Amino acid sequence: MIPFLTYPLALLALATLPTLTAIYLLRNRFKRRQVSSLLLWHFNVPSKSGGAKVHRLQLPLIFFFELLALALLVIAAAGPHWKLPQSARPLIVVLDDSFSLRATRDQVSAQARAQAFLEKLYRHQPPPTTQLILAGTEPRALGGTVKTWREAAALLPQWQCAAPTATLDAAITLAGETGRQQANILVLTDHRPADEKITNPRLEWHAFGATTENFAIVNASRTTFGEQDRCLLEVANFANGARPTTLFVQTEANAPQSSALLLSAGETKRIVFNLPAATPALHAWLEADALAEDNGVQLLPPLRKRVRVQVALADENLSALANRTLAATGLRAAISENPELVIHATDTVANSNSWSLCWAGGGTNAFTGPFVVDNAHPLAAGLGLAGVIWAGRTTTNTPGEVPVILAGNVPLLSAREDALGRQHLTLNFNPSLATLQNTPDWPIVFWNLLQWRIAEMPGLNENNARLGAEVILKTTGEAVTITQPDGVVKTFPKTGGELAIATPVPGIYSVAAGTSTNLLAVNALAADESDLSACASGQWGKWGEATERRLAEASAIWIFGLLALALLTTHLWLIAGGKGAK
Amino acid sequence: MDADLQQALRAGELLGTRYALQLPTVAASGWIGSRMGRRTGSSIDFQDYREYQPGDDLRFIDWGIYARTDRLSVKLFREEVTPHLDLILDGSRSMSLAGTAKAQATARLAAILASAAANAQCSQAVWLTGEGFHRLPNDTLPPSAWNRLEFNSLRAPDQSLAIFPPKFRHLGLRVLISDLLFPAPPLPLLLRLRDGAAALFVIQLLARDDATPPEHGNLRVVDSETGAESEIYIDASLAKQYAENLAQLQQGWADACRQCGAHLTTLIAEDLDDSLRELEAIQLLTPA
Repeated sequence: MIPFLTYPLALLALATLPTLTAIYLLRNRFKRRQVSSLLLWHFNVPSKSGGAKVHRLQLPLIFFFELLALALLVIAAAGPHWKLPQSARPLIVVLDDSFSLRATRDQVSAQARAQAFLEKLYRHQPPPTTQLILAGTEPRALGGTVKTWREAAALLPQWQCAAPTATLDAAITLAGETGRQQANILVLTDHRPADEKITNPRLEWHAFGATTENFAIVNASRTTFGEQDRCLLEVANFANGARPTTLFVQTEANAPQSSALLLSAGETKRIVFNLPAATPALHAWLEADALAEDNGVQLLPPLRKRVRVQVALADENLSALANRTLAATGLRAAISENPELVIHATDTVANSNSWSLCWAGGGTNAFTGPFVVDNAHPLAAGLGLAGVIWAGRTTTNTPGEVPVILAGNVPLLSAREDALGRQHLTLNFNPSLATLQNTPDWPIVFWNLLQWRIAEMPGLNENNARLGAEVILKTTGEAVTITQPDGVVKTFPKTGGELAIATPVPGIYSVAAGTSTNLLAVNALAADESDLSACASGQWGKWGEATERRLAEASAIWIFGLLALALLTTHLWLIAGGKGAK
Repeated sequence: MDADLQQALRAGELLGTRYALQLPTVAASGWIGSRMGRRTGSSIDFQDYREYQPGDDLRFIDWGIYARTDRLSVKLFREEVTPHLDLILDGSRSMSLAGTAKAQATARLAAILASAAANAQCSQAVWLTGEGFHRLPNDTLPPSAWNRLEFNSLRAPDQSLAIFPPKFRHLGLRVLISDLLFPAPPLPLLLRLRDGAAALFVIQLLARDDATPPEHGNLRVVDSETGAESEIYIDASLAKQYAENLAQLQQGWADACRQCGAHLTTLIAEDLDDSLRELEAIQLLTPA
């Protein structure tokens, strides 16, 4: 344990030690003088600082205190460090943030047991530093590095175990990178590792779960079904044998309706029913069991967005075809004032909000393929165009337009976005010589077009989401305030047209954008997390003894500083008490 | 003998030729000499007449008076005497205090007095204290011929007097040269020295370091005679107290001198030549 100095030049200050000694020696030195007789040197007053009559050097006690304090301060200024064998490496704790850790056994959740273990570890083998990493849908560092259990405990309330999945592998990788392969990694979860033979000498895997019977709603949706809403609920039995349960369904203030279910081991039962479209939020839940988070869902009425379309085609045949096709999509609004999409034959100026589809009906060239389709484009989703005859004009692409469908170098469908973000589409199609309008691809194109337009309209793109999913909110730049079910309020003063809303906890979210407020239902639907049959308790892997001990640089400045402070305090006390000169 | 002391003796002898010892009347006695005594003697100076007594020298009968008065009268003449100086030198080590001119000044002063005594037709004896009172070899000769003048005794004069007292000449002039820095009470010593003397002069010869209060600071003072040491921090009060101690010592000697009819003066060794007027003031020296 050889100390080394950060600032060795500070040792030059040791020159003050002989200086101080010289000052004291000169101050206390007795000048020898031979006198004729001591007859005249007998005084009534004793010498104040002359010391004894012995010939050894008399120095006051405070001199030694000052000398020692000075030496200690000089050493402290030199920044002494030494390498000490540390009893433990830095610790990085990977916390499984999935909601399966909320499953209780004997009224105690796996999360609580894991937290108690962590506290016990801190008490018996406190690591020098600790970093917490949450393994939720994606790994996330929880605060900075902490040194004491109190600091760590202050961060643990953020470990809510509400994620639908736990990316433990990614979190362990992040921990390894954060700890530069030097830190000990502790995984706290509720299930055994995929490979129970852990070869990493710095990884310990502790599970605190238990195999528990659990019923769960693993799937739930509420979609439009004509003028009604269709609800789908999937209930799974994750017990080893057949078990009964009861499903309760309640809408608004109506009395809940229950239905008894008997599911065999591992069976999933699908319940489908229709609701009137005007029915508000639906609440469905199961009987209480070990894991409460997956027992209930809330389903809001699905969004019914429609596009106001104005068909401004002079050709009656084209106009009729267009109207018929739009009606078939079911996405066209009943009214066409203030249109959001204008279908026209010439380059008419659209209003400020509308997209335009310029349908050039002329052209006598029939193309049988092959067609080049940009499958990444929203308009091309689901298009096959097999055996289709597409008639149109032989033309070239207009600068700025992005071709979506081409026949050779002839653009058949192209799109252009203007400076305001509006899309202007060009359809080079003559139905009189084509067979496209008689194939399923024709309504697909229009459905894709309206769905694209709907997707770009302000508001949420869905209002029933799974836990952990990102829900897209289209805005026009106004401020957005999101109130989570747990009371957390997030405000985004300025949005750039699109906002991805994170859904970390299940429940009803309130999304206020401008003057409108939308609700968003988030449900914990994760069959893997609800399945507690694979949960286990135990320890896998152990930090190697060799890795327990390592040499770490430890600053000793504080030791010397404290000693110097103590000496100076004693020095002051001696001076104040008049004892220093004795 | 130390060369410096030898040089001091020579210089003092030379300086002393300017002075003569000023003898008191009572000191005009002694062996037959060349100086008028206060009693009748055999000089040619007429003093008185008296009636003839049987046994008187017939040569001194004044026959003229016998012819006129028919009475035998003899002439009386004054005696011629040689007065004597007993010079007592303190031979203790303190008289040769290192770093001072004390020893040289003592030798120089003794030589001045001896030379002045010669000018006054006085005989002299030089006594050096030590293990008793001992005369210096060749002390009757001029000072430059003196020998074994050393100040290395561990005894104070009072102790030397007790060990081996001197045989001073009756009615001689006695001069004590010492720093008087010894703890004995002065009066017994002075009475012994004053006994049978025509006069006793006490010259306290101090170095300037003895007479000046010490500087402030830590001092380890070493007694030059005993070697005893003392560590003292000198401040203003102790410096003042030192001066008071010296004054008290001098006052004690002055009182004792007054009691026994001795004369006391204090000289500073480093300022000896300028201090000879003090010796004139106490009527010990007079310009020759």
